[in-house]
Amino acid sequence: MTTILVVRSAGQASAVREVFDSIAEAGETVHVLRPPTADRVDQLLGDVRSELAREVEYTVDGLTGEGVSELVAFAAERDADRICIGISERTQTGKVRIDDRTQSLLLHDRIAGDLVVGDAVIVLKGLSYDG
Amino acid sequence: MLRVKLQIDAAGISSRLFGTGETVESVEIDNALPVAGGSVFLFLTVTLDGDRSETRLSDRLSEAEVVDVSKATANGHGYHVGVVTDLSDASVLSLLTENEAVPHRIVCRATHLDVVASVRDWSHLKTLADDIEAEHGALELIGTTQTEAIGFPLGGTKIKRSLMGKLSDEQLDVLEVAYRMGYFKVPQEATATEIAREMDISRSTLSERLRRVEHNLCALLFGPYQ
Repeated sequence: MTTILVVRSAGQASAVREVFDSIAEAGETVHVLRPPTADRVDQLLGDVRSELAREVEYTVDGLTGEGVSELVAFAAERDADRICIGISERTQTGKVRIDDRTQSLLLHDRIAGDLVVGDAVIVLKGLSYDG
Repeated sequence: MLRVKLQIDAAGISSRLFGTGETVESVEIDNALPVAGGSVFLFLTVTLDGDRSETRLSDRLSEAEVVDVSKATANGHGYHVGVVTDLSDASVLSLLTENEAVPHRIVCRATHLDVVASVRDWSHLKTLADDIEAEHGALELIGTTQTEAIGFPLGGTKIKRSLMGKLSDEQLDVLEVAYRMGYFKVPQEATATEIAREMDISRSTLSERLRRVEHNLCALLFGPYQ
């Protein structure tokens, strides 16, 4: 299984914990994508991994721009099974607030699968890619 | 199943209501029934910035066939409006139902429509979004949540309407003033004496009206008193 985790800031510890602890399989390498400005994410990833009992490896790459094509290409290249997007905010009625990048990803015509709303992440799983 | 909230540019009869010269705060579609010949019977809740007469509001909607206009609250500025109009006046509702999405809320607020609907899954969401974008231009996804139950289609004010029919204007008035002054809050923010003084009625009259309200609410919940 291949999992991609999109983290927007170092404040998304619960998203990292949810993916490392209960979504990614033991021994799996999680590909973490973060905006270049989110510089404390590396520290967060190390902290979360060290507090968990299970072995999860990860790589970190920069995500530039608000466009989503780069993300889809990254996922397609690795034939990723899952893309997890850290939830930054919820609406008053408890809905996960969707930012521009997440909307572009959800409505992208190259990618399909199942959408599950977790506690701290939106999980796109069972992914398939066109083209 | 996913419940999604999205925004699109204002359209249809809701947006037309904003151009009637009245200061409209919101227009919500409460219900819609098909009428022969491509028309639809729409039940709307229109909230204005102040009181208007039902006749004046009805005159402002001369383009549609207004079936009924009635005040929605005793002290607020909401009106229930029933109109028969062309199906295209409720195009977003049509798109939702044609796509087998369940509409929960459609509210127009001046420049945009807030839409809450349930879809089966991600693929269903994409199909619906494509169709909405094709007809309404840009669409903004605001939020989503997972849900097991389909929930209620539109008509969030149905209970409110049922209650309105069971309470007299006097009873609604006393209930609303008591509610707004914090009489039902815990801890209580206004006493019965303060409510009575505000309404210029005796404390015993207030008490009697509130008891009648409670009795009528119980009758609605549990059936007629034997």
